[in-house]
Amino acid sequence: MPFDLTTLDEPLKTLAAYDWGADAAPFKAIDAAVIAAHADKALRAELEKRFTDLLGGGTTRAAKEYVCRKLMMIGTATSVPALAALLGDSDNSHMARFALERIPVPEAGNALNKALATVSEPLKVGMISSLAARRDPACVTALTALLKGSPLLAIPAANALGSIHSAEAVQALAAADPFAGEGVGEAIVNARLACAEAFLAGGKRTDALAIYQALAKAASGKPDAKAVELAATRGILTCADAVAAAS
Amino acid sequence: MTKPLADVAPAATRREFLRAAATVGAAAAAPYVITSKALGDATTPPASDRIVMGGIGIGNMGKGDQGAFLNRPDVQYVAVCDVRQKWREEGKARADAKYGNQDCAALIDFRELLSRDDIDAVHIATPDHWHAIMTIAACRSGKDVYLQKPETLTLHEGPLMIAAARRYGRVVSGGSQRVLGDYRGIVDPIWAGEIGNVKSIDISVGGPSMPCYLPAQPTPPDIDWDLWLGPAPWEPFNSGRCDGNYGTGGNSWRSYVDYSGGSLTDWGAHHFGGAIFAADLRELQPTKVTYHPAAADGKTAAYMSVTYPNGTELFHNRPAHLRPAPSVAHQGAIQVAGDGKPRAAKPVPQYRNGESNIYGDFIECAKTRQRPFRDIELAVNTMTTPHMIAIGYRLERSLTWDRASQQFKNDEGANRLLDRARREPWSIS
Repeated sequence: MPFDLTTLDEPLKTLAAYDWGADAAPFKAIDAAVIAAHADKALRAELEKRFTDLLGGGTTRAAKEYVCRKLMMIGTATSVPALAALLGDSDNSHMARFALERIPVPEAGNALNKALATVSEPLKVGMISSLAARRDPACVTALTALLKGSPLLAIPAANALGSIHSAEAVQALAAADPFAGEGVGEAIVNARLACAEAFLAGGKRTDALAIYQALAKAASGKPDAKAVELAATRGILTCADAVAAAS
Repeated sequence: MTKPLADVAPAATRREFLRAAATVGAAAAAPYVITSKALGDATTPPASDRIVMGGIGIGNMGKGDQGAFLNRPDVQYVAVCDVRQKWREEGKARADAKYGNQDCAALIDFRELLSRDDIDAVHIATPDHWHAIMTIAACRSGKDVYLQKPETLTLHEGPLMIAAARRYGRVVSGGSQRVLGDYRGIVDPIWAGEIGNVKSIDISVGGPSMPCYLPAQPTPPDIDWDLWLGPAPWEPFNSGRCDGNYGTGGNSWRSYVDYSGGSLTDWGAHHFGGAIFAADLRELQPTKVTYHPAAADGKTAAYMSVTYPNGTELFHNRPAHLRPAPSVAHQGAIQVAGDGKPRAAKPVPQYRNGESNIYGDFIECAKTRQRPFRDIELAVNTMTTPHMIAIGYRLERSLTWDRASQQFKNDEGANRLLDRARREPWSIS
């Protein structure tokens, strides 16, 4: 039986003016509709339209937060413009990412990548975090450009490149200074180790070994880099174990 | 203004270097701090045998954990950290009273604690939404970690925590003190082979957490509210949102989805942990998650089950009339049915070196670099079950899990719930 959309009219009207502490009982109908929408394309499209309408002006922060939580579950490319419009707003940026990060369409990643160039520095950190979570290779160029800038952004950018671990990401990390100051070098080393582990897990032992050997060579003879040398040596030994296990 | 997490890294690396230099080629990683009692006495081991510790999240469970570590002569307890002034001051007072000095640092921000080079290990007992971030940061800072259960809030966090522990060679113990201690009535006969192969397990425990719609209250001056929220969505202060009591009915952080998995993962960590240990499933993760909808007659509520690769089925809140006769049971919470076929006995895993509790197990492992009884990998495996069940309830459908990819098969809706975006500047990448 088709979902009766008229049952949502009053709850959605209530939602538009909702603030924390108000009666949330009407939300049960909306929650039920979101669950039903997984198996009902027409309902999903209608819900998404009504939700994105609510993200515009005139609704409360609490209402926008609720809507973002629901779009995290059912949002599609249709939701992306309305969510992207909130990315630069410090009150709502995180909840816009809360939805966008989990919506598995390229438009969502593009919106985050585009916002990375325009939002304030504190919010950029969030964009980087969400792009890392999406392992979006399209943002590698933008992240690479951040490696030589402010540590506030270079550190999460390095971490993100380690999460993405595409060929371009690995190359960018290899070209970066593993001994850069203010925590950046440590993040680069951590990211390169993460890349090597991902290669190992994927059976790409030669690629993993190349990273470990490069790190060991870079750290060799540097008293302050014993930890790097140790981690790289451990990795080289793990690669040897992998060869032994395969033979 | 809080600093980004990775700002702890420089100190972490210096510490890692010093530790690495001191311990390379050796089995033990001893602390290098020299205290006033460096040589020890009749009741206190020398500093080289003591683990220097700090605690993060020092109310309720953190208080108990602190007490357990403070009472060990092989622990030197030097710092507490809590965003609440009351817990912080009480935690410092307990440590200072123990040692008869004023030396215990009382910190608000965990990054300050992790940046201290003299600390070997930390215990973490914050709300669950902080567990992964703090554990990974601690590993990167060269600290061993005793982490309260439930170790994870999302399925995505677990592999990242395991990777951090392994990458930095850290001992990371999960924190259910009950798994080995409370369930011997089912553990011993099952490991002795007395019920044959385990066919089904029934667990009775509360359900998942819920959304929080509590009203705003004035933020009291004795809490750093922004740091309490951390990676969770910004919400106004309400005492019921952040109280650390053990209830899950709406007046504690354990009730709410942004901070906890509810009873299902809170008490569930004990019950699922005990049952999974009893059935020797700790190395496994379920492959199937089955949603059993409520019966049309209104008499049978919805319930869930998971199936492990070896065929064992584990049920959450299956109605009593649908359960098989149990072979063994733990109170009303866990019922286990075996096939009764002959099976060889196996020795029950124990805490290391004869230690009598999980705290001693952790300290022993911190000294000897062994993996603890509730090693983070086993803890993560255990917690996958209630997390999957929670997703099944939320979506009201059955799911199939692919362990290799850590994804649900052919269900993008379920995969959206594997993790959640963290509020800037927090990240676990």
